[in-house]
Amino acid sequence: MFLVRVMMAVTLPLAALLSWQAWGHHAFSAEFDKDAPVTLEGKVTKVEWINPHAWIHLDVVGEDGSSVAWMVEGGTPNTLLRSGIHKNSLPIGSEIRVRGYEAKDKRCQPACKANGRDLVFADGRRVFMGSSGTGAPKDGSDPRER
Amino acid sequence: MNALIYDFARWLDTHAWSTGLHESYYMYNWIESTHVLALMLSLGMLFLIDLRMLGLALPQVPATTIAQRLNVPMLAGFSVMIITGLLLFYAIPVRTSQSLWFRIKVVLLVAAALNAWLFHRRLRAAGGGWDAAPRAPLPLRVGAALSLLFWALIVMCGRFIAYDWFDCNADPAPLIGALAGCVPGQEQF
Repeated sequence: MFLVRVMMAVTLPLAALLSWQAWGHHAFSAEFDKDAPVTLEGKVTKVEWINPHAWIHLDVVGEDGSSVAWMVEGGTPNTLLRSGIHKNSLPIGSEIRVRGYEAKDKRCQPACKANGRDLVFADGRRVFMGSSGTGAPKDGSDPRER
Repeated sequence: MNALIYDFARWLDTHAWSTGLHESYYMYNWIESTHVLALMLSLGMLFLIDLRMLGLALPQVPATTIAQRLNVPMLAGFSVMIITGLLLFYAIPVRTSQSLWFRIKVVLLVAAALNAWLFHRRLRAAGGGWDAAPRAPLPLRVGAALSLLFWALIVMCGRFIAYDWFDCNADPAPLIGALAGCVPGQEQF
C-alpha cells in the first residue's frame, strides 16, 4: 500500500506536467491573445522555414499608406507541408491574407507578432497554417478540430 | 565572452547539417520527441533512486540494489538525452545560445553533475552498513534531494526555451539582455 501511495505521489504530478505539455509545443495563451483577432493583408517579405515553428513575414500597408512589418507564426514545416504550404509556395512579394491572433507582447520587436490560423493565397486558395491542439480559440480555421 | 559564444554559434549555424535539421520535415521532430522520451527514462530511473535514498520509495529493497539495477537504464536514457540535446542545440545554435532559459539550464546541469560526483563520493565513504535501512545517511539524502531539485528545474528551463519572452530580438531589458548574452548590434538572431 505504501508503494501505491508513493507511485501516486510520483506519477500524478508527472501526469499533470505531461497533460500541460500536450497543449502543444508551446501553449497559445502564453504568447497570443485570443481576444485580439487580426486579419493581415500584404506582401511576403521573408519566410523562415524553421522548426519548431515557421514564421511568415509580411508588410501590411495601412489606409494611410504607411507600412507595418508583421511576422506570423505557423506550425512546423511538416504541418505546413501537410496543409498545403511548402517552402516555395510563398515567394517574396506574393500577396497573401492571413487570419490570426495578435501577440500579447505589443512592442512589435523586431516586427509585430501574430499567431497565424489560416492563410489565403492570391488565387483564393485558403489553407490552415497553424498547429492543432495549441489551445487557440476554436474559430473554424482548423479542419481537424472537433 | 558573449561575443565569443555568439561567433561560435554563428559558425555552427553556417553548417549545412545545422540548417538541414532546422528546416527538416521529420528529423527535428523525431530528435525532439526522442529527447523527451529519453529524459523520461533517465529521470524516471534517477528519481526512483533518489526517492529510495530519501526513504520514500521501495524502502524494503536494499538501496544499493536499486541503485545498481536502475543505473543501466538510467545511463542508457542519459546518453540518448545528451546526444539528442546536443543535436537540438546544433539545429538552432544562435537563438539557443542566447536563450536566458538555456543558460540557466546549463548552469543547473553543471550543478547536477557536481552533485552527482559528490553523491558517489559520499556513497563510497558511507560503506554498506545502512543498505537495508529505509533511509540513507544524511549526506546522501541531501544529495538525493538536490538531485531531484536540480533535475526538475532543468526540465522546466528546457521547456521554457520554447518561449520568446527574453529573446535578443525582442529588445529585452539591459540586465536580461546581458545575462542572455545579447551582443550589441548583432545581425543574426
